[in-house]
Amino acid sequence: MVQLTINGQQIEAPEGSTVLSAAKRAGIEIPTLCAHKELTPFGGCRLCIVDVQGFRVPIASCTLPVSNGMVVNTETEALKKSRKFILSMLFSERNHFCPFCQVSGGDCDLQNAAYHEGMTHWPMQPGWNKFPVDSSHPYFVLDNNRCILCRRCVRACGELVGNFTLSMAERGASTLVVADTNVPLGESTCINCGMCVQVCPTGALIDRTSAYQGHDLAMTEIKSVCVGCSVGCGVKLIVHDNRIVRIEGDWDGAVNHGILCEHGRYDPMNETRQRLTTPLMRKDGVLTPVSWDEALGAVADKLKPLAGKQNGGLAAIASTRLPAEALSMFKELFADGCKSGMVTSTEEGITTAAVSAVAKKVGAFEGKLDVLRNADMVLCVGANVARSHMVTGFLVKRALPKGMRLVNIDPEASELDELADVSLKTQSGSDLTLIEGLQAVIVKEGLGRTALVIKDADALIAAAVKTCGVEQAALERAARMLAQAVSPVILFGKGLTARRDEKLVEALLALAKLTGAVDGERNGLISVKGEANSLAAAQLGLDSAFALDGQHAVYAAIGDDYISKWLLERLSQAPYLVVQASYASKLTEKADVVLPVGLWSEQAGHYLNLDGRLQQAEKAVNAPENVRENSAVLAEVAMRMNMPVKHDWQTALHERASSVALN
Amino acid sequence: MSTQKITIEPVTRIEGHAKVTIHMKDDGSVEHAYMHVNEFRGFEKFCEGRLYFEMPQITPRICGICPVSHHLAAAKASDALTGQTPPRPANLLRELMHMGQIIQSHGMHFFELAGPDLLLGFDASPEVRSVVGLIGANPGLTVKAVMLRKFGQEIIRTLGGRRIHPNFAVPGGVNKALQPAERDSILQGVDGAVEALQIGLQIMKDWAEKNMEDINKFAVFPTGYFGLVTPQNGLELYDGDIRLIDSAGQDLERFDGADYLKIISEHVEPWSYLKFPYYTKMGYPNGVYRVGPLGRLNIAEKIDTPLANEELKLFKALTPGKPVENTLYYHYARLIEALFAVERARILCEDKDILSTEILNTRRNFTGHGVGVIEAPRGTLIHDYTTDEHGKLLKVNLIVSTGHNNWAMSNAVDSVAKTYVHGPDVKEGMLNRVEAAIRAYDPCLSCSTHAVGQMPIQVEILGPDGALLQTLTRD
Amino acid sequence: MAKPKIASDWLCGCAGCHMSLLDMDERILQVVELADLRSSPITDLKEPDESGVDVGILEGGINNTANEAVARKFRQRSKILVALGDCAVFGGVPAMRNFCGVHEALQRAYVDAESNEPGSQIPNDPELATMTQTRALHEVVDVDYNVPGCPPDADVIFYVLAELAQGRKPELKDEMLHWN
Repeated sequence: MVQLTINGQQIEAPEGSTVLSAAKRAGIEIPTLCAHKELTPFGGCRLCIVDVQGFRVPIASCTLPVSNGMVVNTETEALKKSRKFILSMLFSERNHFCPFCQVSGGDCDLQNAAYHEGMTHWPMQPGWNKFPVDSSHPYFVLDNNRCILCRRCVRACGELVGNFTLSMAERGASTLVVADTNVPLGESTCINCGMCVQVCPTGALIDRTSAYQGHDLAMTEIKSVCVGCSVGCGVKLIVHDNRIVRIEGDWDGAVNHGILCEHGRYDPMNETRQRLTTPLMRKDGVLTPVSWDEALGAVADKLKPLAGKQNGGLAAIASTRLPAEALSMFKELFADGCKSGMVTSTEEGITTAAVSAVAKKVGAFEGKLDVLRNADMVLCVGANVARSHMVTGFLVKRALPKGMRLVNIDPEASELDELADVSLKTQSGSDLTLIEGLQAVIVKEGLGRTALVIKDADALIAAAVKTCGVEQAALERAARMLAQAVSPVILFGKGLTARRDEKLVEALLALAKLTGAVDGERNGLISVKGEANSLAAAQLGLDSAFALDGQHAVYAAIGDDYISKWLLERLSQAPYLVVQASYASKLTEKADVVLPVGLWSEQAGHYLNLDGRLQQAEKAVNAPENVRENSAVLAEVAMRMNMPVKHDWQTALHERASSVALN
Repeated sequence: MSTQKITIEPVTRIEGHAKVTIHMKDDGSVEHAYMHVNEFRGFEKFCEGRLYFEMPQITPRICGICPVSHHLAAAKASDALTGQTPPRPANLLRELMHMGQIIQSHGMHFFELAGPDLLLGFDASPEVRSVVGLIGANPGLTVKAVMLRKFGQEIIRTLGGRRIHPNFAVPGGVNKALQPAERDSILQGVDGAVEALQIGLQIMKDWAEKNMEDINKFAVFPTGYFGLVTPQNGLELYDGDIRLIDSAGQDLERFDGADYLKIISEHVEPWSYLKFPYYTKMGYPNGVYRVGPLGRLNIAEKIDTPLANEELKLFKALTPGKPVENTLYYHYARLIEALFAVERARILCEDKDILSTEILNTRRNFTGHGVGVIEAPRGTLIHDYTTDEHGKLLKVNLIVSTGHNNWAMSNAVDSVAKTYVHGPDVKEGMLNRVEAAIRAYDPCLSCSTHAVGQMPIQVEILGPDGALLQTLTRD
Repeated sequence: MAKPKIASDWLCGCAGCHMSLLDMDERILQVVELADLRSSPITDLKEPDESGVDVGILEGGINNTANEAVARKFRQRSKILVALGDCAVFGGVPAMRNFCGVHEALQRAYVDAESNEPGSQIPNDPELATMTQTRALHEVVDVDYNVPGCPPDADVIFYVLAELAQGRKPELKDEMLHWN
């Protein structure tokens, strides 16, 4: 720890921290514009200047490391005057007229800074140069006239997300933010994550949907969890009048530390499906609105006699977007209570069955996402994290410029291919051969850290080259990269686990141990799994393939999930179909009974993310009047079938061995 | 042949800037008087390149007296442009804000801008002929007037967060629901507002009775009349079709405001920054028409609220069988409209959907072109936006309320000058009457030219040889 | 002792700042007690007293020759000159015209607009003021107090007027300096 004095106060600060952060720890606020706690200091705006005893001129505190015995003053008359001048310089360029700007009135850091310094006018009028307004992007607008060149957006796009779409062009007073080589944002390499908008301190980047919806100060902020996929990013829901106005990444989010992708930030805002607002029942071939009592009564009457039947019984399928509470009830009712042999999830265990099987044998063997933060090498197998589980992909992409190596193994074309040091385009279904090939190279060259024995390494290498269709040089290069890394991480996903073959996972685990990705001290083997509650469904045993075999009825608890074509096809064959869903769809059109339920944001519930973290999504808004919660509906059906559920979901989640430690 | 010129500059107790030049003949009679609107800002041009959803915040800066009219017209144009039809509760709330606007604007105009002429007299000394003079002469009435304006402004602030340039209407609806306590607060103010307006109506009726000669010779002339109506030709201020009738009261057109370009055109004169809209089919100036309170009460056959409807019947009885043409009756019509707005505000507050949170429709059917039409206090307001596929504005056309009355105001100025101004001894009260001709229309000249201006007053009467004959200064 | 004299006017603005002034509601009676309101767009006195006023208040920026003349007259005749609102203090929304140019704006309004008669021309009568670059008040005359806001809060305007009317110096900071 370093000892220094700020404004006469004795302060202790960690070595390597900046004067700005040291002051903040001590409760001393220094005005800033370009500084942001999650971005590397830039020192561009100069607003955070302080006086340091012995220094000739005031100095930016955001880029000044603390040192022992430093004496700092943050609030002298001269400094105040300088800050006003700095702001005047900012106002003298571009277009900082406040009246109709979306962030005017509390959400603009520039305006707030000016008021804080007591500015009531501009000593220097602007120069009337017009800068471009880029409105080509579907989610936000970039108005270069309002930009203060703080580079927060450029830093976020690079450091936080690893996409590097945004950069600065031109020089001096003509400097401006551009996308790629100055192409419209809507036609650029932008991946629509919206981090730039989240960090912009002015109205230069404007979110279209929430523009003019009211100031943040008048809104309610609810911290919750995104249920877009199994990463489980912490989100901040900005809510007003029973409506989510905007979604942001929660900077305090345990998994994502504020980062969010397009699916978490924008998909919920762009919903076009029609909401179900009343229970429906098929009468004379037509779906007719009925009361809850009638609908639930009919369901119970139909399903109860089918319970326990091995032939002509009932099947049940649930979406992995449902909270653990609902999934647990679902399993208890249909698998335990009704003893149906066909109770599974919409994912059918494609991302989890194989790892669950291995866990049964060896216990928890996967690691936590945090391990990516210090990785110097990532091997991606059958997981396109540039397109799904995108925040995981951000953690990978952003480390690449720092020297982290990437090897991508995927039969499908992937955005990771051009980023990877080695990209192995394997034949579909040849993963085991490839993994064995990699192991063979490592063992042959004596780079392994375990005592794995391989009888005929050359044969395995040749097999990998032949069967997988990869070049030997590439295979060897990839293997060496993996083995020579100090802290490698292996990510794998659906591409590997879809065949439900535990041998694949076991081979990957052996490779992980061989290369030090998994050892006594750290665990760098992670499967990204699928949807929000993939792991919870796996823990509840809801991971078999779905097939109808003479069942007389199917109960589909879909929630607010989408219906895939195959699911629709198979469920349409059900003689009697009950659908518990939020939105109207081709599936609900085929149903005999439709039970309307709340969205993810209309119920509190727990989600088990891909690395075993149990998180709670909060209820942010009320569902429409005649709509009920998923858990409540299942509990009611259970009760009417005389199989009341105990609802001990916490215990239920621990009944099976998990591939990753649960906490 | 005009030999002398009197200049009135600025015209006071109006919004915006106007200058009047009166050209006198040798015999002291008026040859012609012009109303020059002396401002221009250029909103239609500098909005190009902005985003359509910014217009509900940019366009209110056209006018600080009727910003809500622009705010709502911009939102309506954006609704049409994006295909986002607002849910019913959102339309109720927008209309409620609009009623607040009508109440405060009309109320302020009658008591504080026009009132001094009626209550203190056209010939009263300029030193006292204002709201300041009213405070001295009748403080009780002035307080009632202030509270009436406050009632309207508070409705706006409750809904939109601030009284002037509020933030409320967005494409597809509004951004804030109404709370029960807020609704109750508005309802509590209704009776007081009705009372103030009834006092105003009595003042107007008493004044008319005593000044019938002036009423009948002060700028009385035929024109068409134009504005929104309900399907049954009831008074309508928020949304409906446009009805245009001729000077005899016969229907000329009934159309969706979005088709305005097919019906009206604008004429430009070199001596005014304000253009002259007219009915294209009848040409200029035969096709001129009036809007605003007088225009609207002429095209309406009834009012759907009881108190205002009773007043309308009395109003219609002034000139049975044909429209009311007297310029001074604008003040009377204005009060009746304000009364309707108060009654309508109560009806809206009592609607079962007024507290709903279903206030925004985000489903789109983007077309890139939209027209928003609303009846601002001063007349029909038209916002016409065209954007590219991303919503960036390519073209903006605004036809603003008072603009439709331009010919009528110019004609009123000319008529009143000819009626009341006689040389060689031109009295200040005569010139005030010329200004009063403009005031009756309650013009919003910033609005109509999307501009503003002001100049010091000096009236010089020059003889044929250019020698200074008489100087009237007002300071 | 005679009450201090206050005069006001609006230049290139929207009248919103004067409306915000009226938004002090009943407090206007207090102001009229404290001060003598002379020329103003809402009174019939057309210009500040030649003998001078104590406080001159101008709303709106300067975008034509007429505004310029009024601004100079106000500076000449006012002991204290207040720039009221964003248009007077910064140039405001009308200053957006500076980004596209006066001629382009006139061309769009009077020649190109879809509703115009064919053959329409830009008005040019000598009675009309000439358009200029849009400027903040302080670019043309010295300003003693700046009251920003679009419009400024009625409470802030009341505070400023009341202070000036009682011979004190208003200070805009903390809760008096905010976006309304």
